[in-house]
Amino acid sequence: MAASYLMCRVIYHPKYQAYDLGPEHPFSPLRVAMLLDLLHTYEVQVDFLEPLAATQEMLLEIHDPQYIQIIQEASAGKKIAHAEHYGLGTADNPIKEGMAEGALFQVGGTVLGAKLLMEDQTKKVLQLGGGFHHAHPGLAAGFCLYNDLALAIKKFTKFGWHVAYLDIDVHHGDGVQEMFYSNDKVMTISLHESGEYLFPGTGWIHELGRGMGRALKLNIPLEPFTEGTSYLKVVEGVVEPALSWFRPDVLVVQAGADAHFSDPLADLLLTTYDYERLFHKIIEMADQSCKGRILFTLGGGYAMAATVRIWAILYYVLHGWELPDRLPAEWRQRWQKKIGKPLPEYLHDRLPAYDPIPRKEEIERANRQLIQRIMDSVAADWL
Amino acid sequence: MLIEEVMHPDPITISPETTLCDAYALMQEKGIRHLPVVEKDRLVGIVTDRDLRLATSRLAKRPFEPDAEVKNIMSHPVQTAHPNDPIEIATQTMRELKIGCLPVEDEFRVVGIVTAADMLDAMMRLTGVKRPSGRLDIRMSDKPGELARLAQLLSDRKVNIHSILTYPEAEDQARLVLRVNTMEIRTLAAAICDAGFEVLWPPHISCAE
Ligand SMILES: [Zn+2]
Repeated sequence: MAASYLMCRVIYHPKYQAYDLGPEHPFSPLRVAMLLDLLHTYEVQVDFLEPLAATQEMLLEIHDPQYIQIIQEASAGKKIAHAEHYGLGTADNPIKEGMAEGALFQVGGTVLGAKLLMEDQTKKVLQLGGGFHHAHPGLAAGFCLYNDLALAIKKFTKFGWHVAYLDIDVHHGDGVQEMFYSNDKVMTISLHESGEYLFPGTGWIHELGRGMGRALKLNIPLEPFTEGTSYLKVVEGVVEPALSWFRPDVLVVQAGADAHFSDPLADLLLTTYDYERLFHKIIEMADQSCKGRILFTLGGGYAMAATVRIWAILYYVLHGWELPDRLPAEWRQRWQKKIGKPLPEYLHDRLPAYDPIPRKEEIERANRQLIQRIMDSVAADWL
Repeated sequence: MLIEEVMHPDPITISPETTLCDAYALMQEKGIRHLPVVEKDRLVGIVTDRDLRLATSRLAKRPFEPDAEVKNIMSHPVQTAHPNDPIEIATQTMRELKIGCLPVEDEFRVVGIVTAADMLDAMMRLTGVKRPSGRLDIRMSDKPGELARLAQLLSDRKVNIHSILTYPEAEDQARLVLRVNTMEIRTLAAAICDAGFEVLWPPHISCAE
């Protein structure tokens, strides 16, 4: 077996950086620029495959023709009437010139990842972009334009594969869930902070899929201030049995890093240690349920200093390397100046990472009940 | 929101001579629980699945036979709604009279039907819960200009409002529940707090200043 087959393949294109929604926007391309520079500074192997941009034809598999055209026009600087009808021109999805091109390359990257797996060129793919889980067929939302994940999943199903989609971004993966809601070849599992106030407000446990897709869409809405230990118990209690029951051919993971305790947009409390355990667990589950075939994309993550470290950990874990301890001083100096924020000395968080949570027990109890309620609601269908 | 926006148009109807048995079969087949009874294009009564079951129950004093006609058991006169009625008025009627459905009449013709489930659907639309959004619950003084001030704040931040519900509270205060399309709900909530409004949801929001 060729060494490259066992190795994780990495996908990236400098054009990803063109998906830039402005200096004030949280979905910053700097996150990946910082990550790449960090990997270079560590002097580890960084060779990525460069994708082509996704084509119009590909997008049509997922999106409305009218919507695709509107985005192209908006991105080319043309004034759009009723932009808000398409979710554009808002604070979350501002119109920026060139954004479509950047997005197309990122979509192309996720598609390339799917191709590598279908051609059996590798088992593990890390796409250093994409993860646009909030994009709908005709609606931009939550920083997303085109749904790269849905497109890759569709490619897999056309190839005859059963696909499991695991979304660990702190927000509900609504776009992906909706597009496969009645599909019996696709299982979607989203772990997120409950939508009681958080965007997009969906992802409740009663959302289980429709028709043939029944009991194949799982939602795990966690209590705000859920900590890593409780989070990982939920993964073991729901995700693990779900995957071993469904036995997919491939696992697609949206690895947003916004469940980190320091993330400004949400209130889950994972530390970098929890992420490291979670990544190992996900790979282990893929090994057990789908011959280790896995496609990771990035996603949310708005505390830059944390997001970059979490994705660096993902990179190391996927390559099977031992984690470095410290962040290189020169890298820190370089980026502290650029982003105007201090960067920590270590790759991992220092523990304890935050003050004790007063409602800890109550939260853990609620999450345990959540496992029970989800498993009860699918028991009759998972025979 | 008006009744005509939420009603089911052209409902299935029966005649006064329809048998209880046929009426029941029709309900089963169509998955419905209410049948308006129409004679010469005029609404003359209504029967529900409950009416049918009570009328034929062995526990009834004088149970009806399955081949009895619905005119013997239908409710009449029938409470109706008009297509242009605001849904809140129809909801009020249904709650006060404790009925689960209203045939919709226009010029004495049955043009639609609304049930309690349709009112719940309307509620979902009114609250914007079906659109990707975050949720805010705000308390403000019940005086002119306050809502405008909040709307301006949202507009300045390019946040689109999907829905806005407001209701009066005691002591010159009003409550406002909004669904807004922003990922940055906490930052927004802190800004609303800074502007002097009381943010009740998300919980534990402290002003930035
Ligand atoms: Zn997110």
